Amino acid sequence: MERTKGYPAALDKKLQDTKLYVDDSNPEFSKSVKAISRTNSHMCYQCGTCTGSCPSAPRSSYRIRKFMRRAVLGLENEALTDPDLWLCTTCYSCSDRCPRDILPTDVIMAMRNLAFKRDIVPVNFLKTVTAIYASGHGVPNNDVNRAAREKIGLSRDPPTTHTYAEYMPGIRKILDHYKLKANADRIIKEREG
Amino acid sequence: MAEKKKTTTTKKTVTKKPITKKAAPVKQDIKKQAPAAKPAAKPAATGSTTQQKPRVGVFICHCGTNIAGSMDLMAVQEYSKTIPGVAHVDNYQYMCSTPGQGKIEKAIKDHKLTGIVVAACTPRLHEPTFRTATKEGGLNPFRFEMANIRDQNSWVHMHDQVGSTEKAKDAVRIAVAKAALLQDLYPKSVPVEKAAMVVGAGVAGMQAALDLAAAGIKTYLIEADTSIGGRMSQLDKTFPTLDCSQCILTPKMVDVGRDTNIELYTYSEVNAVEGYIGNFDVTIRKKARGVLTPKEAEARGLVGGGCNGCGDCDAVCPVVKPNAFEMGMKPRKAIYINHPQVVPLIYTIDFDSCIKCGLCVTACGPEKRAIDLESKDEFVKVKVGTAILATGYELFPIEKKEEWGYKRFENVITGLEFERLICASGPTGGHLVRPSDGQTPKKVAFVLCAGSRDNTGSGKPYCSRFCCMYSLKHAHQIIEKIPGCTPYLFYMDIRSFGKMYEEFYYRIQDEGAKFIRGRVANILEDSKSKNLHVMTDDTLLDRPVDMEVDLVVLASAVQPSADTNRTRKLFGVSCSMDGWLLEAHPKLNPCGTTTAGVFLAGVCQGPKDIPDTVASAEGAASAASIPIHKGEVELEPYFATCIDEKCAGCGMCVNLCPYSALALVEKDGRTVMEVTEAKCKGCGTCGGFCPGGAIWMNHFTTPQIVAQIDAFLLGGEQ
Repeated sequence: MERTKGYPAALDKKLQDTKLYVDDSNPEFSKSVKAISRTNSHMCYQCGTCTGSCPSAPRSSYRIRKFMRRAVLGLENEALTDPDLWLCTTCYSCSDRCPRDILPTDVIMAMRNLAFKRDIVPVNFLKTVTAIYASGHGVPNNDVNRAAREKIGLSRDPPTTHTYAEYMPGIRKILDHYKLKANADRIIKEREG
Repeated sequence: MAEKKKTTTTKKTVTKKPITKKAAPVKQDIKKQAPAAKPAAKPAATGSTTQQKPRVGVFICHCGTNIAGSMDLMAVQEYSKTIPGVAHVDNYQYMCSTPGQGKIEKAIKDHKLTGIVVAACTPRLHEPTFRTATKEGGLNPFRFEMANIRDQNSWVHMHDQVGSTEKAKDAVRIAVAKAALLQDLYPKSVPVEKAAMVVGAGVAGMQAALDLAAAGIKTYLIEADTSIGGRMSQLDKTFPTLDCSQCILTPKMVDVGRDTNIELYTYSEVNAVEGYIGNFDVTIRKKARGVLTPKEAEARGLVGGGCNGCGDCDAVCPVVKPNAFEMGMKPRKAIYINHPQVVPLIYTIDFDSCIKCGLCVTACGPEKRAIDLESKDEFVKVKVGTAILATGYELFPIEKKEEWGYKRFENVITGLEFERLICASGPTGGHLVRPSDGQTPKKVAFVLCAGSRDNTGSGKPYCSRFCCMYSLKHAHQIIEKIPGCTPYLFYMDIRSFGKMYEEFYYRIQDEGAKFIRGRVANILEDSKSKNLHVMTDDTLLDRPVDMEVDLVVLASAVQPSADTNRTRKLFGVSCSMDGWLLEAHPKLNPCGTTTAGVFLAGVCQGPKDIPDTVASAEGAASAASIPIHKGEVELEPYFATCIDEKCAGCGMCVNLCPYSALALVEKDGRTVMEVTEAKCKGCGTCGGFCPGGAIWMNHFTTPQIVAQIDAFLLGGEQ
């Protein structure tokens, strides 16, 4: 509902009701995050050690502490629809230092799992799935790399599925078992036509 | 005692229920057999009247809804009436109340009861209450038995009405089986030595000793360090009043030194403890000090000799070591005192570093002749009635939390090091400087909860309780002493809970201290400037923080002092998971321990600031003086007794006894065992072991326990 006729749309956003209401919390969400992450995600006391340790935080809007808060309060929609969810590099610095012995990285991974179930996932992640399905690598070898490898006396391709293509069917079987490729294809198609 | 009952009651779920109900009649005569066997066997017969048919009264407590809410108490009552030997059953809302106790007293008279069972909470909580009621009713108080249907039943099986009711029936039946066989027992009184011991002479130990001494009790004060005063003497100022710590402590130290009722043992430790409340025999190890006090000198015939604290020895000693009192930031000699105000003012030789060059001996001169390079540890035995442990704390080795860089980065220090650096009598004369270059810092970061509130296993899970406040005080001192210097406090919560503490927080914020709500994630050092980058998250601003500061002060967690564990074992005191000594009850008996006659004062029981420490010390002193002023204590008459006719004199029990209470003696030409009753704690080790069944454990006799087991397994049948 537009209340700010004639003003920039940004102002409309600023005037939104951002109160936390009791209905915003879904206790089931807290429980499933805990179950999937297998860490005490409900025990966060918001000290900020995680964000302070995070290599992503100084360079992005990603705040791991905020996701921990959402896990505690069960703010499912807020957590899963926040695009920052995908900015964690999974370096585990936060998990190393958390004084409550929680693994925030695993909480993020659990939320990503739950988001994927609702088809909330950035396309570039899905393209990584496609790449793995095709080559066994998230980042496949390319000609620049091949030249660089040759230069330092290595084989053009590493001793992975690039060299041993016969292992590809096994990798595809795993991805197919979880319908990862099919889902990725479907979502990419929906988004990009 | 309660444990024994526990094991039987808990097992019951597995075993049978049906047999319980049937076969009521047979049991009667079996009951009679057991007691008949025992008075004959029991030599130290205490004038009991066990022969008569047992008439047990059962009283069931609702404990409000604590018990009544989880089980069918009427069913338990009806069942209790069918238990053989039961002459009277009643129930009441709160059996521990005056009307509840009145019911017991009246029923004993009206129904000529011989034993009492109260089904309620735990013996630990209310056994004394009901024993008194039993006594008031005219029975021997040891004819009381408790069935725990609350803590071990209704509270655990809150949602299993049927199961908890059945379990309560079992518990009552088992208690009745024992109550039917209980005998009259008479506690022994032993005199209490009119002397006390205080271990540790920090502010807690000193206060406790002063209080005891003022109450007219001879007090031995034992201190491991060379001087009394403890941690408080290392502090510069104290929050929230900003008194100079030394100024308020030194008078107390002097009082301790002067008090004729206090016998001070510095540079000493407790070596061995024997005995029990009223009669502890304590061996004190006086570590080799190498320096004679005037008294000791006189004892050696050197009148007018001994150390007068002149320091001539210090001046000539060629060995230089770090001074632990100054947190290693100042040198000391191999012969040293901690600081100028030490009590007693007696030098000490650190024999680990002394090279025995003899220069000090020469410097001391032929009149005083205070130095004895060949001195050895001495052992002194004293007898005390009660003892107070006040062994204090030390800092958690914060270098274990590597992310903060303590011991890696020069300009990261601990709160205690800060105290010495800001103290006028400290290594820098009170000028706060950076260890790396001696420069005055302009930005100082305080890391709160450094190692406290940490569940990772490498830190401490508890709140260390005084770091918030001393960090606020540090911030104040910086602002006061260094114009233009800004303190930044990195905190999670400011816990300013004491009297005038929150007001102090207000004041420090008003003075200009900056509070950043975020636990410090890590600290990095600029290798050139030796400045430090404090990395965290301003959780209130929701922005990551990288703050460059000149100095970082870690408010390190505290832990029990190193020797606490050894000392507590000597006195038989338990500790919690974190190593803090365990009080008898966290709320209602915080100074007592489960060992009668041993009390706790100060931080050894858990982190405390100075006001709480002094209060706790005064509490402990008061508690410790009670038995001494009473002059005698009653010992529970649970001791073991040897049945001489059955004893083969094998002596196996003598070695098993953990309290050295047993000995072999000659009696009527035979070797038999004899118990020193005052030493026996009634643990039952000997009684359980004796191959001939010759040891009679009062109040836990074999017939009584067998009857309980039978009652449980067979529903009273045999």
